[in-house]
Amino acid sequence: MKAMLIDTTRCVGCRGCQVACKQWNGLPAEETVFFGGPGYQNPRDLSGKTWTLITYNEAQVGDHYDWVYGKLQCMHCQEPACAASCPTSAMEKLPEGPVVYHPNQCLGCRYCMLACPFQVIRFDWFSANPYVSKCTMCADRVLSGQEPACVKACPTDALVFGDREVLIAEAHHRIEDNPRKYVHHVFGEHEVGGTCVLHLSTVPFELLGYRSDLPEKSLRRWTEPAMKPIPYIVVALSLALGGVAWIVNRRDKRLVEKWTKQVKEMQ
Amino acid sequence: MTDAWIKPQITRRNVVLYLLAALGFVLVVIRFAGGIGRVSNLNDGYPWGFWIGLDILAGIALAAGGFIVAGMVHLFGARKYHVLARPAILTAFLGYLLFIIGLAIDLGRPWMIWQALFHWNHSSPMFEVSWCVTMYTTVLLMEFLPVVFERFGWKHLHDMWHNLVPWVIIGMLTLFTLAMSGSVGWTVVVFAILLAWEVSMRTGLMQRDAQMPTLLVMAGIIFSTLHQSSLGSLLLIIPHKLHPLWFTQAIPIFFLLSAVMIGVGMVIFENIISARVHDRKPDTHLLAGFARALPYLLGLYLLLKVGDIFRTGAAEYLFMFNSVAIGMWLELVVGVLIPLVLFMTPETRESERWLLWGSIFVVAGGIINRLNTVITGVVVANWAPYHPSWMEVAISLGVLSGGILVLDFIVRNFSVFEDRHALAR
Repeated sequence: MKAMLIDTTRCVGCRGCQVACKQWNGLPAEETVFFGGPGYQNPRDLSGKTWTLITYNEAQVGDHYDWVYGKLQCMHCQEPACAASCPTSAMEKLPEGPVVYHPNQCLGCRYCMLACPFQVIRFDWFSANPYVSKCTMCADRVLSGQEPACVKACPTDALVFGDREVLIAEAHHRIEDNPRKYVHHVFGEHEVGGTCVLHLSTVPFELLGYRSDLPEKSLRRWTEPAMKPIPYIVVALSLALGGVAWIVNRRDKRLVEKWTKQVKEMQ
Repeated sequence: MTDAWIKPQITRRNVVLYLLAALGFVLVVIRFAGGIGRVSNLNDGYPWGFWIGLDILAGIALAAGGFIVAGMVHLFGARKYHVLARPAILTAFLGYLLFIIGLAIDLGRPWMIWQALFHWNHSSPMFEVSWCVTMYTTVLLMEFLPVVFERFGWKHLHDMWHNLVPWVIIGMLTLFTLAMSGSVGWTVVVFAILLAWEVSMRTGLMQRDAQMPTLLVMAGIIFSTLHQSSLGSLLLIIPHKLHPLWFTQAIPIFFLLSAVMIGVGMVIFENIISARVHDRKPDTHLLAGFARALPYLLGLYLLLKVGDIFRTGAAEYLFMFNSVAIGMWLELVVGVLIPLVLFMTPETRESERWLLWGSIFVVAGGIINRLNTVITGVVVANWAPYHPSWMEVAISLGVLSGGILVLDFIVRNFSVFEDRHALAR
């Protein structure tokens, strides 16, 4: 399975990946505005037009304050909650790694957005024919043996692409080689069952806006026990309710017979 | 039948309903022209809100009376409650139609709903709910059809209905099992069981209910059990967002149990209210008998819910002063504790006034519970909290008002309550 490693310590915040993403996927530019907080971040958030975003976070690094960059995009979970929850299978996990979206199957129910533990799916709130949207890991490129557009564009090798096992080993090597530079955790190795986008960071991941309290189990582990018993319930209820109807109707018939007999005797 | 139709009229008593329905209609037009964002506060962090909570989770629970009463009367042999069956089935049928309208407003692309019939996703509770609701609405329509046949005196169609309905049900449940399990084995087993019951009834080996085909009532109970619980399963995928006071592996069981409570409460509420509106006397004694089930249901729910809160270690959150704790206390006190006391006491259970109040508490508590589960209890990290906009609320109220007006029209023109001729005068 293919994956992407994001080493945020190598990122210089050039946003070449954002531009490459828009170019390859044909996404329009966005009008941007100044806003409080991390002011250099541009645009403010992911949207239907922006599938990946470099976040600007001010954080204490060693003895000084500095910019620390993060990269927001779909994490391409190994067992995606969006694909497990979609009633029409519009979200699909490919064996090669990407989680892709089939817009023609989508109802716009937004259950995938509720389920997503990383909050990366966006909806066309002001459209009469709305779709959801998210990064596809450039599945068209990956399936033809190329790397995603953002990885291709990255000038500092902050983004690398390859087999998931290889990248996890590489990430641990980097931590071992530079134990003071990195937080000793590969974000995405175990989160919600593991993801195909892996992060290394020099500051705690919460400072980059990631959730550090996600379970290690895939979120499907909670819905499975509720879905598995369905055929058992159908069979059990078919048998039990039919049995009840049999008993009740036989009892009623006997009562009617008894009463008719009593009425006849009285006459 | 040659009875003239009683036409809908705008009166002082129902003018508010017409106004709300009209306002709701205008807002729905805006929503379909300009997108969901034009009328709602829903956003990328909170993609589900008031509509899912009220129109779908609460609405479906409120309509649970249909399968409960139909099952009691036509399957479990509690025939003395038969006068409650028709109104309960009609309310449930209209409730599900309202739910479908509410869902169409909430879905981004409702015209694609048929996709769920072809792209099966066995791991999605939403997939199961959409199948169950489609199937169960059809069941309710079939359960209500005899009332239509009676109105127009279509004896011939009524006989045909009796004959055909069991086969339709066998087909529906078999297809449903195939869609849910994707397994031929399960499908054959379900088909064989249903066929065996129907054949033993046709050959006289087994007695049957005179009014309602047994398989139809069975299908109603099976589909309802499944989707009432699965509406809770929808939330099992968000252990990272739903507050521990509501998030528990047992949430489908709580949804099913509370749907039965709310369904029973709603049957009582609707009977007393419609009796008052149509100047009839409600059968208080019968309703009180029906209400005897409630203390057991409410007591069991309270026991299980409180036990579960302690089991999952969420009890500490009950004793904080924040919206989450207040929300949980509100749904437990209003929806469970107060009605538990009211329905346990014979004096209050036998009085029309207190029956009505008890049922109002159960229904209100149920609505609070469903809204809590998708609004109060859902907390998304790093996102501004969601509050429904007035337009979201107005759309839901408009759909509901329209539904009440349709219900009123049907009750006046069809023999739903059996003394229709009395109220026509």
